[in-house]
Amino acid sequence: MAPTYAPVRDAPERATASGDHFTLDRALLDGLADLALDGAKRGGARYADIRLGETLQEYVRAEDDRLEHFDERTLRGFGLRVLLDGSWGFYGARRLDAASVREGVERALDNARAMRAIQPRAIELEQLPAHEAEWIMPMGVDPFSVSTREKSDLLLSICAAARDNGADFCSASLSIAREERLFANSLGARIRQTRTRVHPSFTATAVDRDTDRMASRESLAPARGAGWEYVTGAGLLDEAARAGREARAKLAAKPVVASDYDLVIDPTNLWLTIHETVGHSTELDRVLGWEANFAGTSFIRPAMLGNLRLGSELMTIVADRSQPGALATIGYDDDGAPATSAEFKIVEKGVLKNFQMALGQAHHIGLSASNGCAYADDPTSFPIQRMPNISLAPNPEKCALDDLVSGVESGVYIVGAGSWSIDQQRDNFQFGGQLFYEIKNGRLGEMLRDVAYQGRTIPFWNSLDGLGDASAYHLDGTFTCGKAEPVQVAPVSHGSPPARFRNVRVLNTSPGA
Amino acid sequence: MLLSSDDAKAISEKIIARSSADACVVKIDGGEDNSLRFARGGATTNITTSKARLRISSHIGRRVGAVTTTRLDDDALDAARVRSEEIARVLPVDPDYVAPLGPQNYDASARYDEDASGFRLDALAAQAARVIAEGASRGVHTFGCATGARRFSALATSNGLFAYERWSEIDLSATARNKTGTWSGWAGAHEFLSARLDADSIARRACAKAAQDVEPVDLEPGDYTVILEPAAVAELAFWVMSAMDARAADEGRSFYARAGGGTKIGEKLFDEKLTIRVDPADPLAPEGGVGWEGVPHRARAFIDKGVVSGLYRSRAWAQKTNAEAIPFAANFVVEGGDASLDDMIRSVKRGVLVTRFWYENMVDRKSLLLTGLTRDGNFLIENGHVSAPVRNMRFNQRLGELFGKIVALGKTERTWRAAGGGGAAAAPPLLAEKFHFSSKSSGV
Repeated sequence: MAPTYAPVRDAPERATASGDHFTLDRALLDGLADLALDGAKRGGARYADIRLGETLQEYVRAEDDRLEHFDERTLRGFGLRVLLDGSWGFYGARRLDAASVREGVERALDNARAMRAIQPRAIELEQLPAHEAEWIMPMGVDPFSVSTREKSDLLLSICAAARDNGADFCSASLSIAREERLFANSLGARIRQTRTRVHPSFTATAVDRDTDRMASRESLAPARGAGWEYVTGAGLLDEAARAGREARAKLAAKPVVASDYDLVIDPTNLWLTIHETVGHSTELDRVLGWEANFAGTSFIRPAMLGNLRLGSELMTIVADRSQPGALATIGYDDDGAPATSAEFKIVEKGVLKNFQMALGQAHHIGLSASNGCAYADDPTSFPIQRMPNISLAPNPEKCALDDLVSGVESGVYIVGAGSWSIDQQRDNFQFGGQLFYEIKNGRLGEMLRDVAYQGRTIPFWNSLDGLGDASAYHLDGTFTCGKAEPVQVAPVSHGSPPARFRNVRVLNTSPGA
Repeated sequence: MLLSSDDAKAISEKIIARSSADACVVKIDGGEDNSLRFARGGATTNITTSKARLRISSHIGRRVGAVTTTRLDDDALDAARVRSEEIARVLPVDPDYVAPLGPQNYDASARYDEDASGFRLDALAAQAARVIAEGASRGVHTFGCATGARRFSALATSNGLFAYERWSEIDLSATARNKTGTWSGWAGAHEFLSARLDADSIARRACAKAAQDVEPVDLEPGDYTVILEPAAVAELAFWVMSAMDARAADEGRSFYARAGGGTKIGEKLFDEKLTIRVDPADPLAPEGGVGWEGVPHRARAFIDKGVVSGLYRSRAWAQKTNAEAIPFAANFVVEGGDASLDDMIRSVKRGVLVTRFWYENMVDRKSLLLTGLTRDGNFLIENGHVSAPVRNMRFNQRLGELFGKIVALGKTERTWRAAGGGGAAAAPPLLAEKFHFSSKSSGV
């Protein structure tokens, strides 16, 4: 009998004090913004906006007993967007000086003019607020202030803990990022913001050369919008030791028998399923076909709003830009819309209630304003529709993991995200995981291996018949959700409690199965 | 921002001259991009960007600290250099440390032309217009992306190495969807030289595949004979190539590890029709001359008539294993055969013609079990003819088995490939049997 699995949960409550981490010269940014917006207006632009700023990044990676990389990056730049004669034009550069901005104005206007030949209909914009504001993410310890040695020692210690406990190999990494941005538009908006995120991660691997098998166990510690206090509070050394033992145990685990099973899915796995099946399918740019050539479209049509039964009554999906510790949390989106715009229900009791929108989309479904879901992954990137934090609301009635498991006669409990794939309309999916346990007669049983589950979005969510309460809620997420051409990556979090799904197809992925 | 070789050399020499480290490496890269997206016959987004970044790696006592900056003024470069030295001083010693390379001889790679590098938004809009016009004439909606770019990369070390490369890129991809939203087609190409990009051909192929008004056929999951078009073959070959790391194989963590120890270098793992090679002088998909860590790319086969003839090997792992360092390749060529696509179709009694794949992900690295889906042009072949569009399917396929028994290969051609992040590939159409589709997808 395996123990009830207890994945890494939230770090200790974060401090609410914050330093002023907006380090750029505000007068310089303001002056460049004025120069750009005045130039765009003089050039005939009906609307213009600009994002200026800097992204600090740190990437540290250890492998076994070696520190492989310790890199710091400072990436500066601006991106000017103009709407001229019904067409967008955009120019971005990795410089913050007047000459570059002047060139940017001319090039952005030229680009808009170049679109006339293929712009049969003028681009329309919805109402836009013009906020003057400053938003600085609350944070405890600035991760950029932590010493180089402490970070490298942490990663080497993680590798050692995993290898001392059964892993043959371990790699560990630490990604840290801070965005500082000034957003300004021709309507008078001027918004300064800064936020920080951290992602500690590791992979422990065990190998059996005799049987030619290997098994890995990746960290369950999610990326967070947080300071260093999250990293130190995440229990990484304990988790690495456990991961070493579990990677070794996976080598000898019982292969799953392919069949339909009831699944109890831990939030460390379910976040990615929420992201792929609901997060992307409810993006209005995909619904309108604007991502058809790359990221794909959606099985959802505008006319389904308000009447599509996407899941069971237990399924309520909320969009949120204010969730503490979440990766898409910010005061204003990259169109200048406030976080309050991006707090809405996408699905309520199983029924589709809303799409995610950026500037220029809402009027296509008869609305007068976007709901604050724009993001540009760099000042030099064109802002597009991206997810706010999107989460499965917990059961208002008391329900623990044991309650979910006890209702399963024959099933699988799945922990941690593994391999993932979904079709271009966000319907047919396949997900793996990190750890799998048999459920027999309402109790957790032996560890299983080589599990992947397949399904289709609507039947899967309609099979949801058990949902944990707020006490089991867990926030997970990713630094790097990709979309658009050229590809942009966005950080986003997804929270959920554990949940139970009935009769889901499970594959055995081992050779010979 | 496209720095010249002289400018890049001057900047790097200045940094190296001021370095207090035992050794120093400077890498500068950047370029200018123009890109245009269109959907339903009109522009959606467009960009022009100008970028450059510089990375300083300071080596002090077998420890390496690195700092990257986008500011190229003297004060910023000094600050970055000093910070990289500060980082290096406090790091633990790397037991597998290797010193920076000295001078190397690089093979020339013809990847730049002025015409391609000069593509701005008006020229890209003209390309998009061809796709839009073809869509209008065929009665389908069109969606796509056109990009023109010129890029450079420079590498300098305090041990006397200086390398500089520049290349141009131009690509066009087009998705067409019939107006009822029940079927789609796709075509695309990526080239280094502008004269090779044929927008009219891309438009015709994408729109012709999409202009299907009949109800798509539903197939049951199972094993099927498939003809994979070159873009689909390149996608799968990318996963075969990306798994070819020598260290992972030596340590038993890879498809290329031998049971009991050692690697499968020299073993015949694939059909003898399969050869995948990398060559800076290849006319279709040339690799750059300067590889990862500055190690030169040389013409070589990684899979030669089915035999694994080489694996990527970092300088550190090469030093440890007393073997040649071989850089990871972004660009590759899958050698073709003498069958035409039409010949292959005529030879199939019942099978599936696959235009391209989507959202592949490795399920099991040891057996190269890959999952993913067909997309934008999946057709049923019956009795030697394409008979109908067939709904998309998810596959779960071990690549060793797929490439282990190839029935026929066509002529190799340059492909568009999303997975490589701009990497160039060339591949032929491929006929294989027992390709495993594991479930149906209604995604169009």
